[in-house]
Amino acid sequence: MIGIFRSTILTKIAMALSGLIWIGFSIAHLSGHFLLFAGQEAYNAYGQGLKDLGPLLWLGRIIFIISFLLHSFSGILLLSRNKEARPVQYKAKKPIVSTPQSRMMALTGILLFTFMVYHLAHFTWGVVHAEYSHLTYTLSDGRAVHDVYTMVVAGYQNVFVCLAYVLFMLGFGMHLSHAIASVVQTLGFNHPMYNSLVKKVANGLSTIIILGYISIPASVMLGVLKLTGGH
Amino acid sequence: MNLTLHIWRQENTTAEGRFSTYRVEEISPDMSFLEMLDVLNERLINKGEVPVEFEHDCREGICGTCSLMVNGVPHGPEKGTTTCQLHMRKFKDGDEITIEPWRAKAFPVLKDLVVDRSAFDRIIQKGGYISANTGNAPDGNAIPIPKPDADWAFEAAACIGCGACVAACKNASASLFVAAKVTHLGLLPQGQPERYLRVTAMVEQMDQEGFGSCTNTYDCEGACPKQISVRNIARMNRDYLKAKIMGN
Repeated sequence: MIGIFRSTILTKIAMALSGLIWIGFSIAHLSGHFLLFAGQEAYNAYGQGLKDLGPLLWLGRIIFIISFLLHSFSGILLLSRNKEARPVQYKAKKPIVSTPQSRMMALTGILLFTFMVYHLAHFTWGVVHAEYSHLTYTLSDGRAVHDVYTMVVAGYQNVFVCLAYVLFMLGFGMHLSHAIASVVQTLGFNHPMYNSLVKKVANGLSTIIILGYISIPASVMLGVLKLTGGH
Repeated sequence: MNLTLHIWRQENTTAEGRFSTYRVEEISPDMSFLEMLDVLNERLINKGEVPVEFEHDCREGICGTCSLMVNGVPHGPEKGTTTCQLHMRKFKDGDEITIEPWRAKAFPVLKDLVVDRSAFDRIIQKGGYISANTGNAPDGNAIPIPKPDADWAFEAAACIGCGACVAACKNASASLFVAAKVTHLGLLPQGQPERYLRVTAMVEQMDQEGFGSCTNTYDCEGACPKQISVRNIARMNRDYLKAKIMGN
């Protein structure tokens, strides 16, 4: 296992596979939270449903935590190796065909990590913007559950939180658009017949995911998603 | 044409280098980039100064010896061309040109613009050959090879080992070079017996030499004077992974 990290190709493959799990997470996470548009009842029931998964939820969390650790560890390892590989920098150096997002993966990665910590502190741990974090909602079946709907909507009624979210998501979009195309190449698939399709899918999918995420705070700002006062 | 050149001067591997600025006058646009440097060196010698060291051999774009970073691009601004085949008509009168050596830990500067590329030779020594005794050259049609494979192997074989891929890569990765060599032999029937041993040994030597890793930015393909595709890198990753899973 440790031997993997002696090889740059295997380290990169570990990074690609763990990143792939996070691409999956970002799609699943978005799909779940789209239930905000189905109303307070459905969204809160979804939140409770996740909690009710119990050990399964923890299994998922452990998989994501391991992927996260593997992804960042491989990233840091390769980054430090790559910095070492060119001790003297060029005075003039021009990118030839590379895209800014492909050159900025480490930077957008750090940005994403910062966002994750903030996002977890806001919605999972409830330590920032905590005023709406601990409300209760009564479902139609009479169960009293955590009112996540109010927490999210109230959270995004703060314009600064929204702006920060949109900026973070643009960074995420850059990371994702390179990541999706890159994972295909790293895992050894590259064929002239499919390369333009891969590029289109990478750009299209990352745009859809980012617009999806941005649509949530944007809907709060535009008043599509509103506080209802609860039950 | 009159030009201002900012050239990296470095006495030897351990000495500290610096940029020196030179003016060259009355340069013909028909000259090659290296001929322009020859003119500069003639003038430096006549003045009793030490000429600028740079590597060159065939001056026909096929040997891979010339190696200059011209204005931040390996082999200069013309796509699919080595420095020796770059002509001064690509520049304008009054231009300032920055000339640097390839920069990589694995390519130490020997003097001025000359770097030591023996790391590439050591990678080749690990498996960039076919060791089976094949006897006399067989009849051209005796070994059937699918046309797409023959074409692809030929494209990969066009690699002249100049190191522009390393120079262009933000990580100083040698992936394109190694991938071209691995693919060239790995696609042909004669290369099959050693296919997985070759990819493992060459990739491991590449890592040992201190080259960076591939992060799929593809500037190597953009800089390659032979326009070798990054498709080879995907194939190398695939072969390497297969070799690792199957134990060579």
